[in-house]
Amino acid sequence: MSSEITDDILLDIHRRMVRIRTFEERAGKMMEDGKIPGALHLYVGQEAIASAVMVHLSNEDYITGTHRGHGHLIAKGGEFTYMFAELYGKATGYCKGKGGSMHISNLDLGMLGANGIVGGGPPIAMGAAFSCKFRKTKNVSISFFGDGASNEGAFHEAANMAALYKLPCVFICENNGYGEYTPQANHQAIVDVADRAPGYGMPGVVVDGMDAVAVYEAAGEAIARAREGGGPTLLECKTYRYYDHVGVRGMGLSYRTDEEVEQWRLKDPIVNFEARLAEQGVLSPEAAQAIHEEVLKEVEAGIEFAEASPDPDPAAVTEDVYA
Amino acid sequence: MSLFGVVANPASGKDVRRLVARASVFDNQEKQAIVERALIGAEAAGASEFAYLDDPNGIVASAVRENGRLCAKPLDTTRTRTALDTITAARALKDLGCAVVITLGGDGTNRAFALGWPDAPLIPLSTGTNNVFPRLAEATLAGAAAGLIASGQLELGEVAAQQKVVQVTVDDERPDLALIDAVLSRERFVGARALLEPAQLDTALLTRAEAAAVGITAIGGLLHPLSPDAEGGLLLRFGPGGERLRAPIAPGLYKTVEVAECRAVDTDEVVTAQGPGVLAFDGERDRSLKPGQPVELKVERIGPWVVDIRQTLELAARKGLFTMAHSHARRQAAG
Amino acid sequence: MAEPQPKPRELPYVAAITEGVRTVMQEQPDAFVAGEDVAEAGGVYGYYNGILKEFGPDRVFDTPISEEGIVGLGVGAAATGCRPIIDVMFMDFMGECMDEIANQLAKMRYMFGGRATLPVTILSMAGAGASLAAQHSQSLEAWICHLPGLKVVMACTPYDAKGLIISAARDDNPVIVVLNKMSLAMMGPVPEESYTVPIGEANLVRSGSNYTIISYGRMVHEALAAATQLEKLGIDAEVIDLRSLQPLDSDAIVASVKKTHRAMIVHEAVRFGGFGGEITAQIQELAFDYLDAPVARVGAPFSPVPFSPVLEATYVPNADRIVAEAKQQLGL
Repeated sequence: MSSEITDDILLDIHRRMVRIRTFEERAGKMMEDGKIPGALHLYVGQEAIASAVMVHLSNEDYITGTHRGHGHLIAKGGEFTYMFAELYGKATGYCKGKGGSMHISNLDLGMLGANGIVGGGPPIAMGAAFSCKFRKTKNVSISFFGDGASNEGAFHEAANMAALYKLPCVFICENNGYGEYTPQANHQAIVDVADRAPGYGMPGVVVDGMDAVAVYEAAGEAIARAREGGGPTLLECKTYRYYDHVGVRGMGLSYRTDEEVEQWRLKDPIVNFEARLAEQGVLSPEAAQAIHEEVLKEVEAGIEFAEASPDPDPAAVTEDVYA
Repeated sequence: MSLFGVVANPASGKDVRRLVARASVFDNQEKQAIVERALIGAEAAGASEFAYLDDPNGIVASAVRENGRLCAKPLDTTRTRTALDTITAARALKDLGCAVVITLGGDGTNRAFALGWPDAPLIPLSTGTNNVFPRLAEATLAGAAAGLIASGQLELGEVAAQQKVVQVTVDDERPDLALIDAVLSRERFVGARALLEPAQLDTALLTRAEAAAVGITAIGGLLHPLSPDAEGGLLLRFGPGGERLRAPIAPGLYKTVEVAECRAVDTDEVVTAQGPGVLAFDGERDRSLKPGQPVELKVERIGPWVVDIRQTLELAARKGLFTMAHSHARRQAAG
Repeated sequence: MAEPQPKPRELPYVAAITEGVRTVMQEQPDAFVAGEDVAEAGGVYGYYNGILKEFGPDRVFDTPISEEGIVGLGVGAAATGCRPIIDVMFMDFMGECMDEIANQLAKMRYMFGGRATLPVTILSMAGAGASLAAQHSQSLEAWICHLPGLKVVMACTPYDAKGLIISAARDDNPVIVVLNKMSLAMMGPVPEESYTVPIGEANLVRSGSNYTIISYGRMVHEALAAATQLEKLGIDAEVIDLRSLQPLDSDAIVASVKKTHRAMIVHEAVRFGGFGGEITAQIQELAFDYLDAPVARVGAPFSPVPFSPVLEATYVPNADRIVAEAKQQLGL
């Protein structure tokens, strides 16, 4: 490993995970209560991945998210005020209310957007990685995508080109076992998406996506390799989404069992991480609780900001189409 | 006539060493092909049934679908995608009275198997990253060796040797074990598991110190080779004041290591070390130790019986077991 | 006595494209060229000849046959500070990359609330007439004109090819420059210096008093030939080359129709659902009271582009068909 994980990094990852969890729990409820329009795809359960990857990145490093993209923006430094405002469709949102949940983005943070198209992100991330190489920066570009997206032609084209041009790109597959409502066994003949890596000519790695330290270490290696000109990596993180494809209860479809959800909850990325941090004397349960409360206040402030914000001017409907 | 076992670890050959150490991904389609070839070999050598770990990736199940002439019995085991699956499969295979078990994995897979069945009769096939315990062998021939043993044509004791293990005891817990090396590292987390930070190494006890291997065992092997057949183990205490050397601690990865003490230890001699840190077995971080928490390590020859494939096939040839006349007589005897 | 003007330099359309790309590459250090066969081979029609040699492999490179990946590369690179020139070899291949064009490139700025800039130039080859059949001959501008966020231009002369490419590359929006494969050998004056052809301004290529033919792309030349024939019938046709379909120069169309009172739209694309329908609608919305006849439309029949030269000649509109349609429209 390139370096031992420090207490500061552990606490940083922890806070990012708590920020995602708290934001998502609240946003999901508000959507189901009808306060937030449209459809939210919640990141709850997958927090370790975005959080442990993003501590390796600066604002000059790029990421592309997925339709389940709030977690990526939060972990990249997204502010709750502008995020909630965007989810409400307000003029003060990150995208002035024009993108919403599925297109939430902030280029200042290097976040090139959630994406409503499954597999929409990998080619864009590959292009941003090309840009890093072309402009001779030491920056990297990370594509988050799911097991479902790994079957899209766009992913294969991006992976092939990233390997061909040895781009500073890391393809991070958040394999949560379902492409929307279809279990992985019904959508691909393989179980480990990383098995495809040799076919592109890049390393493939599988890690436990519920374990932030494991993700931190593996992502650190892949990102360092990319920065040093070693080319792309396919890093597969095994994970699970606690809630439905859309929302919390979602469509109420019977495509998975409660037992399965409970089994995965035993591996909860935050609960287990906090236990280990307590064991190591890095973060006491009381201090962890204080962080949860602090973040909850940040969420409430974000909601307050969003609710107090103006709706977009209807005339703005045709603004921002062209530069 | 008894059955043989097949355990294929779907997770082997995919960890972070792909990146750090330029190891290659071992994809599960190739594992399935290996199982198919082993089954063909076993059937040709006279086996008729086998039991297998029905892993969540369906490696063996897919092989059975492709080549279903043997009677295949899936084991009713856990599907946690952790080492627990291999451990429970080992116990189940032991209960079934398996004559021999083919394992597909690396050192970690075989260690997990030995946790469930310490003195198991094994034919370990390498599909992992750090392969000191399993050796590269053609699966067809591994299957043939398994078939010869399972069908009762050869005795295990004629063709297998029992291996040493490091027995690991923490407090009152059930003893743990390592097949090649048990290591205390000053790292704090299990994380991505691979043990790759030599500056954090504290203590290692090796069952074998191989100059022609990769991993922690190589550090000992480059200083003081010790064969798996010799008794006792090799103790390494890391730190300044002794030898400095460059050792291949993972495939494609040489690191400078400082070894303060390197000495042979007798069988049953207890070596102690203390937390805080992480215990790593056969190259993988496994569990953490609290500050001051002691661990006791000792080398004993109580491990798996590993079948020598070449020896097995040559002995069978000398006994005439591959002739049609022999096969015919065997089928008549079986009725 | 005035000095004789030096004859302006003439270049074939294909060389004008090359010169446009060269000029952009010289003017914009953040520009690069990516596409299938563009580097070593110089492009399947040769219009990137010499570009690799002059600008080197970091700025001019071959891509895999992966249109979605190529356009995606352009999107990601443009959003992060580059000015990509992306070659989609045949316009027909836009089907392969339509998600990147329609859902990413066109919409990213809007979805991000105006906080993204995507200066991507896409060059693509359209047009029937070379017996390349149904998948290498289409004019699919209607697909992309329907996507807010894109600009679409079509070049019918060497002058416009160079000037539109330079304008497209200087534009901070995604611009698709549609080229025509049957025009590659066509000669025309092309200034050596850098110049632009404004995007969004139609070009009045022939003045007339009592008839307006609105066209774009290679059909402009057929419209001009038809106008000559129509003269003999007493029709003094004005011909407008739109050059830019998005944005559309509606003012130029309306001004002409108000003057001539009769209009026809000519395009090579399939007539049904073609861009001519949009122009027709705008004329009736903006100049209904000035019309003395229904607006006529000439386009390809509702079939894929055929292979056989005989069938293809029947398929592609030409001057004779334009004249015949005009006669019918005007009851001549």
